[in-house]
Amino acid sequence: MQYLIQLVISGLAIGAIYGLIAMGFAVIYKSTGLVNFAQGEMTMITAYIAWTISTTVSGNVFVVAVGAILAAIVLGLIIERLVMRPMLGEPVFATVMVTIGLAVILRSAINFIWDAYPHGLDIGMGRGIVHLGGIGVRTGQIAVIATLLLLLAAIWAFFRYSKVGVAMRAVAADDRTALLMGISATRVHALAWAASSVIAGIGGVFFALSYDLSPAMFQLGLKAFPATILGGLDAVLGSGLGGLLIGITENLAGGYIGSGMKEVAGFAMIIIVLMIRPFGIFGERDIERV
Amino acid sequence: MIKHLAAASLLLTTACLATGPATAADPGITDSEILIGDVEPLTGPPALLGVAASIGHKIAIAEANAAGGINGRKIKYVLEDDGYVTARTIQGVKKVIDVDKVFAMLGISGSGQSIAVMPVLEKSGIPTVIDVAPVKFLWEPARKNVFVVGQSYEEGIIHLVDFLADKNPGKKWGLITQDDDYGITVRDGFDSVVKAKKLNVVYSGNYKKGQQDFSSDMLQLKDAGAEVFLAGGIIAENIAMTKELEKLNIKPVTGIFWPGRIEPVLKLMGPAGDGIYAVDYVEPFAGAAGKAFLEKAKPLVSEAEFKGINRYTMTGYAAAKVLIAAIERCGKQPTWACTISELEKTKNVETGVMAPISFGPGVRFSNQKLQIMQADAATLSFKPVN
Repeated sequence: MQYLIQLVISGLAIGAIYGLIAMGFAVIYKSTGLVNFAQGEMTMITAYIAWTISTTVSGNVFVVAVGAILAAIVLGLIIERLVMRPMLGEPVFATVMVTIGLAVILRSAINFIWDAYPHGLDIGMGRGIVHLGGIGVRTGQIAVIATLLLLLAAIWAFFRYSKVGVAMRAVAADDRTALLMGISATRVHALAWAASSVIAGIGGVFFALSYDLSPAMFQLGLKAFPATILGGLDAVLGSGLGGLLIGITENLAGGYIGSGMKEVAGFAMIIIVLMIRPFGIFGERDIERV
Repeated sequence: MIKHLAAASLLLTTACLATGPATAADPGITDSEILIGDVEPLTGPPALLGVAASIGHKIAIAEANAAGGINGRKIKYVLEDDGYVTARTIQGVKKVIDVDKVFAMLGISGSGQSIAVMPVLEKSGIPTVIDVAPVKFLWEPARKNVFVVGQSYEEGIIHLVDFLADKNPGKKWGLITQDDDYGITVRDGFDSVVKAKKLNVVYSGNYKKGQQDFSSDMLQLKDAGAEVFLAGGIIAENIAMTKELEKLNIKPVTGIFWPGRIEPVLKLMGPAGDGIYAVDYVEPFAGAAGKAFLEKAKPLVSEAEFKGINRYTMTGYAAAKVLIAAIERCGKQPTWACTISELEKTKNVETGVMAPISFGPGVRFSNQKLQIMQADAATLSFKPVN
């Protein structure tokens, strides 16, 4: 039983990170109808910036958190303004290709700006180990699960009750009608890119805290993408929950079937789910897939 | 008079033919310069080895240039990035040979990339010294113009597992490897010792390249009761595995392989990395030879490059030293044929960073002596144990 519980807890911890990044995918898709293939790279860049702040400015957790969030907002806004906005109205395929190109550039930037060595993010917390009845968990892992749950609640409230959230939903539903109603689609898009960058960046920072920073970190995006598909590409909350499901499934497969199955399990799961619900567990039926 | 002139002409022609093609025949050499080419991963995660190896080449080249170059000619280093993508390695090697027209090659990238580029090197006939990823295919069969400095991955693993088996008789073993050619080599070496020493293997895992979370794998290792563990990851994987073991509150005797034997890894592992065993054929930086190398390197490279030094810098340095020495022995008019011939004559060349290097007729692999090291978390260094 202890073996099972340990697998589930570890699965929830890594799944929460997938979930945060998956929510980043969904926020952009929901607002712009675009799949951002540079999501993993944006996550990685924010984590590297957090590490730079911790080593050059201050290792204080609040300084690092505020600095990383601001940096993620700026990163999201720059990408939206300089790269994505000129692509408005262009074919979806071309826009998706732009995000792929962006991914390659951001990936290479790691070596140009930082280096290829792995680094640890040390902010004085998150690395401690708590043993509960023989089950070991890092405090950072507990924190990321709690953060995901809090963000899920906050985002639900944001889309449900705030004017901006309703405006984003309106643009996602029909941007022309939204425009006629006085909603600026470009502003909504900019907000979506900034929000996506922050949410995914939080996932990246937690990953760096629990594991380490390395130029291979962008691969988190590849792991989080199935979570988005599973939860629903247009379902922000569903994507977060999809991350948890993928994390648990991976760990159970790795723990009970074998190491080799771990990486395959998430993808096997989305194939099965998509055969039953092609729009994902929480997604809406009429979405356009890329 | 005519008879004398004819005799002199004949003598001159014979002399020219006897010395082989001169500078006009072989590219990459002018009156003042010799070009040496290299293709390495300078971007992406494997840049950790590619950048470090290129720094090693630069140190040896800067050292030679500071001493006047090769018989008066300064060495110019032409470096290309392949991003660890095989197709780009082939393009890069073709570019430095055909476009930059280098005289000799160093490097080259990873094991898969070196293997893929072998037909290009062989066809061109350019003198090449490989130093980054020594695998058997590179020297078996021996290629006339391709020399390899290092030790085979398989021998390295056999040496490490042998050592750990002798030190921990009757213990239960665990192994995890990557699902690629590197992992297969590690597993082959491990299996040969398991067979010879009848080791009790209770856990054997195989992870997909790029995996970052090893929680279920290490839980399986714990559940199986493994007491000695061969972590077959490269760098980040071994860090993740060690930290996972720490979380699970177990500390098996752990061995890692040389691609991951770099000092920053110990900092990231923290106390969990203390006492980990590693095998390598280059000197540890904590030893006298390592310290002397760092002292030598400091004035020859930039501050950023100095920070990028790791074990691959030593392999790169040694290979470049051997190549430069061979070209130097060819005198004022070095040619490919002479350089290859002199490389073959390399005998006990001291580089200060590994055991003396030798090749021989038909021997294109330097077969470096291995040593076991142990991690000291307090000083963040590896120290020899035998």
